[in-house]
Amino acid sequence: MNDALDVALRLLVVFAVFLVLPLVIGQTEHKVMAHMQGRLGPMYAGGFHGWAQLVADGVKFAQKEDVVPADADRRVFQLAPAVALLPYLLVLVAIPVGPSEGAVGQVVDAGIFFVLAVMGVGVLGSLMAGWASANKFSLLGGLRTAAQLLAYELPMLLAAASVAMAAGTVSLPGILNAFEWWWLPWQIVGALVFFIAGLAELQRPPFDMPVADSEIIFGAYTEYTGLRFALFLLAEYAGIVVLCGLTTVLFLGGWHGPFGTDGLGWVWTLLKTALLAFVVIWLRVSYPRLREDQLQKLAWTTLIPLALAQIALTGIVKVAIS
Amino acid sequence: MPPIPGSGLAKGLAVTLRTMTKKTVTAQYPDAQPELPPRSRGVIGLFEENCTVCMLCARECPDWCIYIDSHKETIPAAAPGGRERSRNVLDRFAIDFSLCMYCGICIEVCPFDALFWSPEFEYAETDIHELTHERDKLRDWMWTVPAPPALDPAAEEPKEIAAARKAAEKLAAAEAAPAAPEAEEGPA
Amino acid sequence: MMLLASGHHPVHHGFLSPTGVEIAFLLVAAVTFGAAVLTVTTKQLVHAALWLVVALGGIAVEYLLLTAEFIAWVQVLIYVGSVVVLLLFGLMLTKAPIGRSPDADSGNKWAALLVALAAAGSLLWVVVDAFRTTWINLDGPGQGSTKVSGSILFRHWVLPFEALSVLLLAALVGAIVMSRKSGDTSGAPGDAPRDKEQR
Repeated sequence: MNDALDVALRLLVVFAVFLVLPLVIGQTEHKVMAHMQGRLGPMYAGGFHGWAQLVADGVKFAQKEDVVPADADRRVFQLAPAVALLPYLLVLVAIPVGPSEGAVGQVVDAGIFFVLAVMGVGVLGSLMAGWASANKFSLLGGLRTAAQLLAYELPMLLAAASVAMAAGTVSLPGILNAFEWWWLPWQIVGALVFFIAGLAELQRPPFDMPVADSEIIFGAYTEYTGLRFALFLLAEYAGIVVLCGLTTVLFLGGWHGPFGTDGLGWVWTLLKTALLAFVVIWLRVSYPRLREDQLQKLAWTTLIPLALAQIALTGIVKVAIS
Repeated sequence: MPPIPGSGLAKGLAVTLRTMTKKTVTAQYPDAQPELPPRSRGVIGLFEENCTVCMLCARECPDWCIYIDSHKETIPAAAPGGRERSRNVLDRFAIDFSLCMYCGICIEVCPFDALFWSPEFEYAETDIHELTHERDKLRDWMWTVPAPPALDPAAEEPKEIAAARKAAEKLAAAEAAPAAPEAEEGPA
Repeated sequence: MMLLASGHHPVHHGFLSPTGVEIAFLLVAAVTFGAAVLTVTTKQLVHAALWLVVALGGIAVEYLLLTAEFIAWVQVLIYVGSVVVLLLFGLMLTKAPIGRSPDADSGNKWAALLVALAAAGSLLWVVVDAFRTTWINLDGPGQGSTKVSGSILFRHWVLPFEALSVLLLAALVGAIVMSRKSGDTSGAPGDAPRDKEQR
């Protein structure tokens, strides 16, 4: 009974985090983006600097009519948002926040494989949406999503494998237990590759060709309305949380910090995740969208060789120090 | 020196970061009124004391958006034995702002300076018919007309002042001219 | 697989008093089997691919139930995450309609069924014969954990592993050679942008 309560409590906490953090990042994006463009951003909803803007958006989405196009593949069309969103919820369960046993939803033995595998499944939602919408723009969006995933899954995996080699384990808490500060410069190339590939997998600008609004309206999500559309958006922001959390855990040392690691480890994790989320937003504001062929070129001719070089470097150093 | 690879990317990031630390340019309009430049073309105010119902504005208006009604009144003679005068009294002066295209021709043609640009701009209505604003509203807007901005330091003299000065100088010269001969004649 | 699991429950349980894990295993197996049958029988091409996702995911769950965690996640990563995405990518490039494809049926389906049954039968026979007396103790230390899998793979099975990697390398080189050849002729208009992009 106690175990069941424990599990229920953990799942509840993870679920709450899953609902709150994406909204926090979304609101931060509103504000940071606005100020980077010399604007103020939302100022009204909720009173103080428009803090409740996304809540208001949610209410608006919930009120909208849920339209399924006449020619669409109904079941697949309706199922797609769930397929896009749920994997990120699952991934959050495995990300350790602090050093203690209680600071992670569930310790997964093959943690890296778990998170990367499940994140890859999320893209299936976009593919289903793109195909089932019976819309040419959606189909193009789906195609671009698939091409992008195929190109960026590999460098992401290779970069993660480099860290796993360095730590000698594929479990996320295990990697953090083995972490030393000099891993930062050692794995910096891998970290960059991982982060960029992750951005591309999330279809965040400057890698947002699958939803390029000036070319293909909104890609795979063109036909979606109301709550289902909101779920896709939520999936994008949950994806940011997951990507930043993963990069923190794998490359930035998670709960390790210059001081206060024992009691306040989780603060370090959250701080680093927030910083990375800021970088994600910053990149979106600063750079224009890449062209489809530039994107593929970046993946195959830059990121993959870099990731392989990082693995070679990791191997050499690992052998040298052992 | 060839540029360092990626320096352009870094420059882009620096620009956005610097902008973020600067003050925003957003005008929070309903909370804070905008500072409009002088001579803003908001609405047209009517200074009805100056209006003689000459109808020039209504006739020149390209859209026919000015409505003027008037009637004639007879004023008794000012002095006994004098003639009675008649004059036009304004009954209605309305501008249909759903038609007005803010060309300002009415203001230009008014020979008696009865129409002015006002920077007022919040006169939205929920019904298009209510956009025909009557003389009370136009008179109210008159109070919002700012004083004309000062001329540039090196600008030409305004026409009116130039004319008045010329007249005054002429007068002074005329006064001085008879005074001089008189002074000469006096002792003689 | 089902027989395998039923044969592997702890000794003190009889065949008719299964544990919770075994019941779950059988249920998931039924779902997986159903999805697999739907994959080959459905007339809608993309639905077939999506049912394949369910089938592959079901197999991953079976691995999990047998404590082979590492294999399970690799299964999801490679098959659901990449192979099916590639499959869907290919399907989207075709003119697959939404709804039934009129030509999704094949005249060879009875022959195919025969081959499939024969293959399944022989596999089943081999597996049952090979693992007749082997037991998996699900309560003990995980035998499918990453550490165990790794050490078994690189101690006992290192030769097949290396042979497989050479095979994959050969496939990779072959793919490059083929794509370059079609690029050199530059006759096909579809290949031209691809070629440009590779450079």
